[in-house]
Amino acid sequence: MSTQAIESLSEDTVRRIADERDEPEWLLETRLNALSALETAELPDVIQTPGRRWTDLEALDFESLVDPLNQSDATERSAGDDEVVVLPFTEAFDEYGDVIEANFGSVLDPEHNYLTALSVALFTTGTFVYVPEGVDVEDVTVRAEMNSRSLFSQTLVVAEESSSVTILESIESGDGEVDGDRYFSNLVEITAGENANVQFGSLQNLDDDSYTYSLKRADVGVYGTVDWIESNFGSKLTRSDVESELNGDGAESQIVGTFFGTDDQHFDINARVWHQAEHTTADLVTRGVLDDVARSVYEGVQDVGNDAWNTSSYQRENTLMLSDDAEADASPKLIIHNHDTEASHSATVGQVDAEDLFYLESRTIDSHTARNMLVEGFFVPVLEEIAVDEFRDDVEDLVFERLQ
Amino acid sequence: MSSKQDDLKETNTEARFEFKKEENSAFKSEKGLTEETVRVISEDKDEPEWMLERRLRALEQFQEMPMPTDWPGQPDLSEVDVDEIIPYIRPDVDVRAGVDDWTELPDEIKDTFDKLGIPEAEKNALSGVGAQYESEVVYQNMQERWEEKGVIFCNMDEAVQEHEEIVREHFMTKCVPPSDNKFAALHGAIWSGGSFVYVPENTTVDMPVQAYFRMNSEGMGQFEHTLIIAEESSEVHYIEGCSAPKYSAFNLHSGGVEVFVGEDAHVQYSTVQNWSKNTYNLNTKRAIAEKGGRMEWISGSMGSKATMLYPSTILKGRGASDNHITIAFAGEGQNIDTGAKVYHNAPETKSTVESKSISKDGGRTNYRGLIHIADGAENSSTAVECDALMFDNESTSDTMPYMEINESKVDVAHEATVGKIGDEDIFYLQSRGLDDDDAKQMIVSGFIEPITEELPIEYAVELNRLVELEMEGSLG
Repeated sequence: MSTQAIESLSEDTVRRIADERDEPEWLLETRLNALSALETAELPDVIQTPGRRWTDLEALDFESLVDPLNQSDATERSAGDDEVVVLPFTEAFDEYGDVIEANFGSVLDPEHNYLTALSVALFTTGTFVYVPEGVDVEDVTVRAEMNSRSLFSQTLVVAEESSSVTILESIESGDGEVDGDRYFSNLVEITAGENANVQFGSLQNLDDDSYTYSLKRADVGVYGTVDWIESNFGSKLTRSDVESELNGDGAESQIVGTFFGTDDQHFDINARVWHQAEHTTADLVTRGVLDDVARSVYEGVQDVGNDAWNTSSYQRENTLMLSDDAEADASPKLIIHNHDTEASHSATVGQVDAEDLFYLESRTIDSHTARNMLVEGFFVPVLEEIAVDEFRDDVEDLVFERLQ
Repeated sequence: MSSKQDDLKETNTEARFEFKKEENSAFKSEKGLTEETVRVISEDKDEPEWMLERRLRALEQFQEMPMPTDWPGQPDLSEVDVDEIIPYIRPDVDVRAGVDDWTELPDEIKDTFDKLGIPEAEKNALSGVGAQYESEVVYQNMQERWEEKGVIFCNMDEAVQEHEEIVREHFMTKCVPPSDNKFAALHGAIWSGGSFVYVPENTTVDMPVQAYFRMNSEGMGQFEHTLIIAEESSEVHYIEGCSAPKYSAFNLHSGGVEVFVGEDAHVQYSTVQNWSKNTYNLNTKRAIAEKGGRMEWISGSMGSKATMLYPSTILKGRGASDNHITIAFAGEGQNIDTGAKVYHNAPETKSTVESKSISKDGGRTNYRGLIHIADGAENSSTAVECDALMFDNESTSDTMPYMEINESKVDVAHEATVGKIGDEDIFYLQSRGLDDDDAKQMIVSGFIEPITEELPIEYAVELNRLVELEMEGSLG
């Protein structure tokens, strides 16, 4: 498979972006390397079975979706505490240049695939979050609006030893009128040091003329914990990958996913964990609802390496179908190289339970309300994992909105 | 060494599979695969023109298709060079369709099957037996009472001659076309031997029929074709056994199995595969189940260097159902990539898949399965359960299920677990006076019991013994 060359892209484009942002030389180098990687890089892997390609990324017309020099966003960042640094990269280079340089691209290789290379070469927004040793903060929020044809965002979270942070990011479409399709690309990398604890919640609710690519990856150190909550509600097509590498002994990660598809939305949701050290634990939980002719694709991977003694790894995926024309594909995978492992996974697809519905109706609740109650209830196990009230409320509201 | 192991050594099971016989053939094709080879095979079998045409078309498809190389984690097939394979060996037997009396066979062939225990099993528990040696069926017999009822059990080459119309309609047309995959195409070009089973309406064959496939020569390929047609409301259980002695060169087994399950019919297909560990086992097995039909696949994959086998069922008629039970055991140097495919193409169809795998001494097992529920297959349900047991840290156990659900009124569930043998379980058994080896064997036997209890007793015993042998290798 060959990927498309985007004619409007050149070294000059990348240099202009870096110049405008007054970036250090190493980052320009990184961007230019990513740009040249585009020539050989492949689109992200998509599951293919006989006669069926689960997501067709090749159909995306990047030539018309990518408009690198007119990116525009309105982003509000709030640290909630002065001990933590929450800044756009441009404002962070002076003081934290060394920390950024040491960590940028260390978890997520910019040349990982075609879409990551494109994103690193062209990003103009995003956030640098730095939590120094021992600092404990709860309310970091980054709320972004996308106001242009395309937007490339890059986020780096560095959580030092024994620090703890809860981060909530959200993206939606702004008022800026753009005709036709749009493309949002969001890369997030987290490095969690010894005994650090990071919860990263993400809420994507872009308009239905948008295409979203998101790849989030964490490197979890000794006794560290990284918990992800990935909520996807918007976009015509979403490809989302959330990944944790458990590299330190005793590291833990939870990946919680939710999605709710209506109309002809397509969600390609991926959760992956690599157990690379001893006594690591992972829990992957995804719940999604599909209505109308929406379609979901799920891949979960639990990879237990040779040295991952005493691993515990669990995965659950449940899809609820509200419409007869919806489609749900799922592939929960286990790759186990160490026998000292307790691992399980499960996946189910079904519809609202007829008995539950009957019970509620027998209590004089009309069938539409009863169904909605059951759908809201379906999300409860996932909502319970969200530590931040504000985020939980947002997700509940979005579920409620879609049920009307 | 424990006394239990001595006991095992004294049993003849290992000897029964590992002995070699001198090659003694009446006709042996050249190595490699050309149009000429295909014509020679077809001519040697005196086949009708249409079969030769099908073979040549399959050959063309084989040559056009690429080797499968991009499946995640798949066995390495780079050693499989079809030009190094001897595709066809006709053993030196007088009766082309196979004799119906063991004593008529040449001594070394009879001795082979005696050691494998086939004639003994026939006497006790089977309705009919076919035995294939190299490329041809050498023995075929069925109890008269079934023949009287119109049940046909004969070798595939004979069926092409004697039951031409029905074979022509069903042979690699609607169930497994050669275009299905590269090895199905290869099979279509150079198939030889195998069984044809036909069960008329309302007939229940209450004892299993069995075919046994034996490769004896180094560097050969075995490509037997099995076609089972079970008419409305009939019932049959077909058992297939396979083995070969080990040589340094690789052997290739690429069988094709097609099963037609008629309305309300019930077919059970059981395989215990114990190919030598230089054999590549790349099969295509598929069933089509009509309204109310029931298909059961029971597979034990013990042998081979690499296996890629995913028995599949197309649930075509309303209320059809499918049951898969598989057990895979991968020891040193083995890569057993197996699973199940089920297509739910009609309403109220049901499937269950139960997979058990054991890996040890660096072996790899993988469950690779596909469940597809088509739009309109409402009120269908499927449940997939995979359990894996790992013995050591050099081994690998993968699970790669794929589920494609295009219908909302369904009940879909997949579950998998991976675990190690519990120290506590072993300790408990040891405290009851068993030694470590026996305790492990007992736990493994318990782990695979749901599979063995589905097999006729002779096969269950056989499977258990094979597992014990595999276990023993690592403990001495």
